[in-house]
Amino acid sequence: MLHTKPEQTPLCDSALIERAKSGDQKAYKALYDLHIKRVYGLCLRLLADETHAEDATQEVFVQVWHKLKQFDERSQFSTWLYSVASNITISYVRKHKNWLNKVISLEQSGMDEQTAEACQGLNGLDKLIVRLPERARMVFVLYAIEGYRHEEIANKLGMAVGSSKSQYHRAKQLLQQWYDYE
Amino acid sequence: MNKPDFDNYLNDSLASLDKEIEPNKVLWSGVEHAIVNTSSDSENKATWPKLTAMAACIIASVLTFNVLVLNENTNDVIAMNDYFSKQKSTLLVQYKGQDALTDNWQIQLQELEQAAQAINKALENEPHNQALLTMLAQVYQQQLDLINKVHAPRWQHI
Repeated sequence: MLHTKPEQTPLCDSALIERAKSGDQKAYKALYDLHIKRVYGLCLRLLADETHAEDATQEVFVQVWHKLKQFDERSQFSTWLYSVASNITISYVRKHKNWLNKVISLEQSGMDEQTAEACQGLNGLDKLIVRLPERARMVFVLYAIEGYRHEEIANKLGMAVGSSKSQYHRAKQLLQQWYDYE
Repeated sequence: MNKPDFDNYLNDSLASLDKEIEPNKVLWSGVEHAIVNTSSDSENKATWPKLTAMAACIIASVLTFNVLVLNENTNDVIAMNDYFSKQKSTLLVQYKGQDALTDNWQIQLQELEQAAQAINKALENEPHNQALLTMLAQVYQQQLDLINKVHAPRWQHI
């Protein structure tokens, strides 16, 4: 199983970070331009909904602006940013979607093929990922794409490590079923 | 041509997956709007939406508890209608007298309300139809999102 570490993009933007920390919005816009596609990709895969992904992406960049002084530059900015982005997106899910899932059992069913088609710009495996039920999808994205360990995912999602592993296997089983059926 | 086995397909797909996806909308304007307005004045203005969100969470929790635990016979449709009508009224009262970003938002709201009525009518015959319940919830959520976005465009710029 391919399992990559969280992406370590080389930093060419430490000067931008310093300027943004002191309130320079142009520098922050430059940082935004460098990372927007990567953050949006993460949000879209976690949320499986374009409108929610757009909202969450904006929320990420607004919150990161306020948290920027907490970034101590001991890690790569991209690593810190994507970790913050995944945490904010998970909180976004809890805020916006949880109660609906409980009332109408969306979690059990996952998304149908037609709804998945509505996520434009997604191809191949991504089209299957957005059909996964919420928890299985989030675990799969964080483990297989973002490279987090199950212990880290369990911590982020507030679940047991065993649950993270079982959700991952559930996701793989569903993906295989859909792949075989296609 | 034969399909590759699933493990190979998965490994190859993950290895070649582009982590970057271009959003269809320009999102910076909403971010800029939010970070420019960080004065204490704007923080005060944000108090009401926060309180409303907290109230919504509490109502949703109570509703969920009632639906799932206390009374299994509670009709999902009635519970949902009740919850959303309270939410909608709260938002409309909250934004009363405040300028909206678009002129036609009430027409859009009316159209969504008509859609909700049509779904409610269909639910009279099939009160436990999950697809209809999902649609109804989505239409109600769209109404709340619309009211919020035209009055408090904090993130998205319409």
